[in-house]
Amino acid sequence: MAAVRDVVIIGGGVNGLVTAFYLARAGRKPLVLESRPVVGGAAVTAEFYPGFRGPILAHAGGPLLPQIERDLQLEKHGLSVVEPEICVFAPSPDGCGLLLRRDAKETARGIAQFSARDAEKYVEFSALLARYGALLRQLLSLTPPVIAKPGSEDLWNLFRFGRNMRGLGKKDMMRLLRYGPMAVADFVAEFFETELLRAVIAARGVLGSAMGPWSAGSTAHLLLQAATDSHPARAPWFPRGGMGALSDAIAAAARAAGAEIRCDAAVEKIIAKDDVATGVVLKGGEEISAEAVVSSADPRRTFLELCDPSYLGPDFLVKIQHFRGKGTLAKVNLALDGLPQFTGLVRANGARAAQGSAGAGSENAPAALQGRIHIGPEIDYMERAFDASKYGAFSPHPWLDITIPSLADVSLALAGKHVMSIYAQYAPYKLKDGDWATRGDEFLKTVINTLAEYAPDVPQRVLGAQLITPVDMEKEWGMTGGHIFHGELSLDQLFTMRPLIGWARYRTPVRGLYLCGSGTHPGTGLNGASGANAAREILKDSAG
Amino acid sequence: MSAADFLDQWFETDVLKATMSASGIIGTFLGVRSPGTAYVLLHHYMGEIDGAFRAWGFSRGGTGAISNAIAAAAREAGAEIRTQAGVERILVQNGRAIGVVLEGGEEIRAEVVSSSIDPRMTFEKMIGERELPGDFMEEVRRYKYRGSSGKVNLALDGLPEFAAIPGTGRHLRGAISVSPAVDYMERAYDQAKYGEFSRRPYIDMVIPTLTDPSLAPPGKHVLSCFVQYAPYNLKEGTWDDKRDEFGDTVVDTIAEYAPNIRSLIIGRQVLTPLDIERSVGLSEGNIFQGELSLEQLFFLRPMAGWARYRTPIRRLYLSGSATHPGGGIMGAPGRLAALEILKDIGK
Ligand SMILES: Cc1cc2nc3c(=O)[nH]c(=O)nc-3n(C[C@H](O)[C@H](O)[C@H](O)COP(=O)(O)OP(=O)(O)OC[C@H]3O[C@@H](n4cnc5c(N)ncnc54)[C@H](O)[C@@H]3O)c2cc1C
Repeated sequence: MAAVRDVVIIGGGVNGLVTAFYLARAGRKPLVLESRPVVGGAAVTAEFYPGFRGPILAHAGGPLLPQIERDLQLEKHGLSVVEPEICVFAPSPDGCGLLLRRDAKETARGIAQFSARDAEKYVEFSALLARYGALLRQLLSLTPPVIAKPGSEDLWNLFRFGRNMRGLGKKDMMRLLRYGPMAVADFVAEFFETELLRAVIAARGVLGSAMGPWSAGSTAHLLLQAATDSHPARAPWFPRGGMGALSDAIAAAARAAGAEIRCDAAVEKIIAKDDVATGVVLKGGEEISAEAVVSSADPRRTFLELCDPSYLGPDFLVKIQHFRGKGTLAKVNLALDGLPQFTGLVRANGARAAQGSAGAGSENAPAALQGRIHIGPEIDYMERAFDASKYGAFSPHPWLDITIPSLADVSLALAGKHVMSIYAQYAPYKLKDGDWATRGDEFLKTVINTLAEYAPDVPQRVLGAQLITPVDMEKEWGMTGGHIFHGELSLDQLFTMRPLIGWARYRTPVRGLYLCGSGTHPGTGLNGASGANAAREILKDSAG
Repeated sequence: MSAADFLDQWFETDVLKATMSASGIIGTFLGVRSPGTAYVLLHHYMGEIDGAFRAWGFSRGGTGAISNAIAAAAREAGAEIRTQAGVERILVQNGRAIGVVLEGGEEIRAEVVSSSIDPRMTFEKMIGERELPGDFMEEVRRYKYRGSSGKVNLALDGLPEFAAIPGTGRHLRGAISVSPAVDYMERAYDQAKYGEFSRRPYIDMVIPTLTDPSLAPPGKHVLSCFVQYAPYNLKEGTWDDKRDEFGDTVVDTIAEYAPNIRSLIIGRQVLTPLDIERSVGLSEGNIFQGELSLEQLFFLRPMAGWARYRTPIRRLYLSGSATHPGGGIMGAPGRLAALEILKDIGK
């Protein structure tokens, strides 16, 4: 048998790679084992139709937490990021549209076309979100404290957080407490009267989740997302070359620091002896012994599939079984033979400015389409889309969040052609009638038809289409339930409760086995925080 | 967590889960699958406010007796109680409450005024913006009521018979719940979200005449139905136009389970949320003086920063269901408010 490895990390997604980087930088010798042929997990770029490459799953995300970005020095490892000026284009069914820009005041000028009051409120709202975002950002890089018995470091962190919270002022602070548990539909209605604007902003509170805008707690989801990016509608952050370019750069940084990465290496079992993790067994039988095992696979996969139940005890197992995470988001990738024409773009607020001339010349349209495109004109539309999923049906009129990455990086598609990447929600993991294998095409048609209401030429431009349902995400990427965050980001599964109360500090009942993926705090997407926090705790244990 | 998720961890029988889940939604504008309803459900099972929904004073039976007993205790302790004394305004001078004016014009001066009605009625109707800070009024206006339930009282010629358990035995003496499936409950909610009353609502019924025959002439019965969802704000039309349609829906729904109900009805009273607002003075007909949603509980009830029964007006206190710990007939807000008042006046 080969020598005992220092640390093995299961899964080479963004979090697994970030953990590997920090461990390697501290002088450890991590080995990353990724079951797929490439690293990246949810952040990958691949060819999905001959000649067309795109962000296969996540198409936006990040940015990484500033500290992590500084530590990894990703530009040095080949990352180049596109940050379009127009963040979101949201067409409405009546042929109008809304453009949200990076700058709040400029955005407000456009919103004034819909409502003068909303224009004014938008600036106020942006500032409020920036204040809350800055405060909550500090939470992202904290290891959740043990509430019953906080250690001195926990107390210091909580004290600092409390002090900063008071810095908000009483009014903002009280409001923050009130906003968190609220339905995001109520939250946006306190500020805005324009339905389209409400829907664009509220959307973020339900991304990837089994909540609709009227679900309590969806505001907390939005606020947590604002902790990484406090722009009201998310400011797009696209790695040139698709999300895979981000993963490749992180992998390069990890390797440069001394980490080893093996792809096509699926872990089948975690082995432990006397409640201490001793290594893993790969599919095919290869056994790798290690001093510590870190899993970026989701909590249910890690504990219910990879671990032997005897390691964990019945109480823990039952609780993990109840960790909620049934995916609702499906991904559609389209190969298009040209840029689609959105009717709403001609009459969108500020479209003229975007086009630089009064005419609706398509030569300038790309500027408006370079961010994200939001299809979901009102709160009720979004809620109805959600309603279907509660009864195990996909939305007859789904909410779509779209990017066209080939606008920023022409190399992704054949000359003159384009790649369109679509999040389609709601597509519940489990269908009541039939299954995804038989009903996928129907959903794909639904998505394309929905899109055609806003860009009528899309159907005839489609050369090829790829649909990835939550079931596919589970099968191919190992995300149990096909949940994009490895488990619901609901109030009862956040912070000290992610994944479970008492087990939110990246450690597990098995000594030497750690978690570092999205199923741990903060778990909010492509910001690297879970991975970095886990590394810090692992290093603490080995120091002590 | 939602009530449905919570119950899924314990049970597999749909109708059992559906019936228990009802406790998670009563008095809220939430569905059994809405996050946060598990909390409301547990709140009920703690025994604190269970039964409240059958208790708000339209049927003279049980609840009236409770109120009378409490009133007697208060009198014995030295309190004076006047009925038919509707308060129209609270008198405020230099930021301090000095008394009230009754509907007939009578003025009553007092050291302390304690209001057990909801914040909207207290501050917007009885005091007015001029006396209150703008920030505070903003919060008062933000406080959500969203009544979501109605009440139908039926006078019956005899006892209804349910297809599920024929006969008129003991099963009619407790609560009778129309809540056949979790999806049924959730669909009832879905319609309310878009401003319609449920076409197939959740109904919780009691037949008080089985325990207190004096409530009806001999041989006759009263069927008291709590019905959810009946949203205060309708998308189309008004409750005055829709009252009968709502009543019909309730009867039709009951008839699916107790086919003989229609032939028994000799009288019908339909109370929409609007009627409840008008007759009892509960804003938007919310039976708990404000929605029991997480952002309106504990130290946030009724408003952040004003959860200790005090108000921006000195010597004016809130003591109703709109204060912590909220709705029901348990009396806790009243007691807690009294303790705070005594602290302030130094007794
Ligand atoms: C379609 C989609 C859209 C998204 N959109 C956004 C967005 O807009 N914004 C945002 O912030 N976030 C978004 N996310 C979420 C974000 O991508 C994830 O939170 C993040 O990528 C999680 O990283 P991770 O490393 O924790 O897990 P993952 O990326 O899931 O990586 C886990 C890795 O482990 C591997 N693995 C699993 N089991 C094993 C095993 N037994 N052996 C070996 N390897 C294994 C998997 O193959 C995978 O590579 C999206 C996710 C998806 C799927």
